[in-house]
Amino acid sequence: MRKGYILKDKLFPWLEAIRAKYPLIAPVQEDGLSLFKEVEKVSDIVLDYGITRMPPKDLFFPQTEKMFRIKNKNNMAVELETPEKITDEQVLFGVHSCDLKSILALDPVFTTRFPDRYYQERRDKTYVIGLSCQKALPTCFCTAYGITPTAYEGADLHLTELGDKYLVEVVTERGERLVAAVPGVVFEGTESLEAEKEKLTAKVAAEIKPVDITGVKEVLDANFELPLWEKWAQKCLGCGICTYVCPTCHCFDINDFNRGDGVGERFRCWDSCMFSDFTRMAGGHNPRPSKKERVRNRFMHKLKYHLDRYNLVGCVGCGRCVQRCPENIDIRAIISDIKGGV
Amino acid sequence: MLKEKIKSTVSSLLENKQVDFVIGYGAGSDAGTVRPTFVKAVEEVQELIWSPFAVNNLAKYVMDHLYENIKIGVIVKGCDSRSVVRLVQDKVFPRENFYVIGVPCKGILDKNKVARDFDLSGEFVDFVEQGDNVVVKTTKGDITIPREKYLMDKCYRCETPTPVVYDVLLGEEIAPFRRDNYEDVKNLESLSVEEKSKYWDKQFEKCIRCYACRNVCSACNCRDCVFDMAEPNWVGKAANLSENTAFHLIRAWHVAGRCVDCGECSRVCPMGIPVNTLNRKLIKDMKELFSVETPGKNPEQGAVLGSFRTDDPEEFM
Repeated sequence: MRKGYILKDKLFPWLEAIRAKYPLIAPVQEDGLSLFKEVEKVSDIVLDYGITRMPPKDLFFPQTEKMFRIKNKNNMAVELETPEKITDEQVLFGVHSCDLKSILALDPVFTTRFPDRYYQERRDKTYVIGLSCQKALPTCFCTAYGITPTAYEGADLHLTELGDKYLVEVVTERGERLVAAVPGVVFEGTESLEAEKEKLTAKVAAEIKPVDITGVKEVLDANFELPLWEKWAQKCLGCGICTYVCPTCHCFDINDFNRGDGVGERFRCWDSCMFSDFTRMAGGHNPRPSKKERVRNRFMHKLKYHLDRYNLVGCVGCGRCVQRCPENIDIRAIISDIKGGV
Repeated sequence: MLKEKIKSTVSSLLENKQVDFVIGYGAGSDAGTVRPTFVKAVEEVQELIWSPFAVNNLAKYVMDHLYENIKIGVIVKGCDSRSVVRLVQDKVFPRENFYVIGVPCKGILDKNKVARDFDLSGEFVDFVEQGDNVVVKTTKGDITIPREKYLMDKCYRCETPTPVVYDVLLGEEIAPFRRDNYEDVKNLESLSVEEKSKYWDKQFEKCIRCYACRNVCSACNCRDCVFDMAEPNWVGKAANLSENTAFHLIRAWHVAGRCVDCGECSRVCPMGIPVNTLNRKLIKDMKELFSVETPGKNPEQGAVLGSFRTDDPEEFM
């Protein structure tokens, strides 16, 4: 893997050169919230942002996405108009290691057994530039899943701020294309930077409150019924906050915009397994009739089903759900209860 | 000590089988966070705490037990107690199935405000009131918080520091000492139509349609919510400005006259939308038009838009 560096005071000019060529989506501050947004000025970018309120999954899997148009030709036929192009090339900058890993967790869902054109094109046309963490939040626990605060898996290019330089790791072929298209990275003399990166990794990892998931999957493999599910489900409001702020959650619904005037648009939109009607079927049957079944399903998905299906963790320890759950349902406490066989 | 009073009250209720279980507060992920805790056996009572951060409104949880005909104990502050009135008035849960444990409250600390100036990342151990300060003991040390500077916004305008209904009151009644002048609403009322439109567009664009505001609201107690209907699809599921605006405005109107202004909707919103301001505008208007009190404050006052009075200004409806 090629490694280089950018001087710290050359970072924003380099980002500006990127922005001049591609839409640049980066972390900004809006109304006190940190969010990934397309920037018009690189000076809007906030580098030391902790964690964004919403995850970057929206770039590959938008909350609301138009799929195709439906035109009523006559009463016997419709015409479908599928888009020729889903997106232009774009650059996503400043993604922390947990979120980088989450993109890899989403990939097999949308690109393997059921290849999804919309996701795939967005994925192919997005250059992902990762950014190592300089600090851990009290809600961070990426290390529980073998992710480090400076890990580059999931990025095309990965930056780490070290003193007056950014170490740049060119992780993928797509990353090579970007550094060729937008020069600015100096490819030499990175040995000392790599050593400093190790130190930074250890420093930030030490700030993380340890969470031990060993044995959790085994308990879940052996037990579908556990008293802890009812205990936690009681507290749950049944809203969609956890699923929507989660970088790996990917359930969606499909609906139509239809004004009855002969032209409609099919769209898909995020859905949440926590909503009471998520599994309700025509006829009224609901295999997850109470919060207990739905809460159990969500955590089984994060801690077992995603691993079963794709051999990838379903949770990346970003901590957004812990920060935002209105009733403080904490996956780390649930992990602890599972280990205790509660 | 309030924590001890809570524990002994709850223990006694459980021992005497006066309730099937009690909903209170337990320790949460950090010193500034509490977690709703459901206690059905005396051995579990030691999980219950009191905390200056005990913000969650616990009343609506009774809706998970609608047809069971059991008795549920709920710990409520002044604002939460109005939700009890709401649920009883809407005939959602009978008064006799509630055992209301009232806690007089001068204000709850806002953990977001506190976290800007103090380290709340340790675990909550205990707290003590020291004059104007609250000293919170955490596993990362003690923090001394000047109470009046760090309250939830809603607490500065609280007119019911003592619960309006209770079966037992754990502490001395506190006479109302604050006034709600609806400053937040007046500030928006003073804007031009264009400015208001821009303001709310900006807020509703942020909405991710998580429905936390609806789910936490005790006035949102319909068995089948209009927003869950696919046929007809009153408000579409797409999260765009048009649909989001429809959601918020329709919800505000659906709870109008029944919202008790507990403020939970704004607290739970993950995107920082001041949802409660819409409801408060309607409450302010109703107070001016119909000379009523904040719904839920007076259990004798019927639903504002659902009661007929012979002195109503309009004869019909």
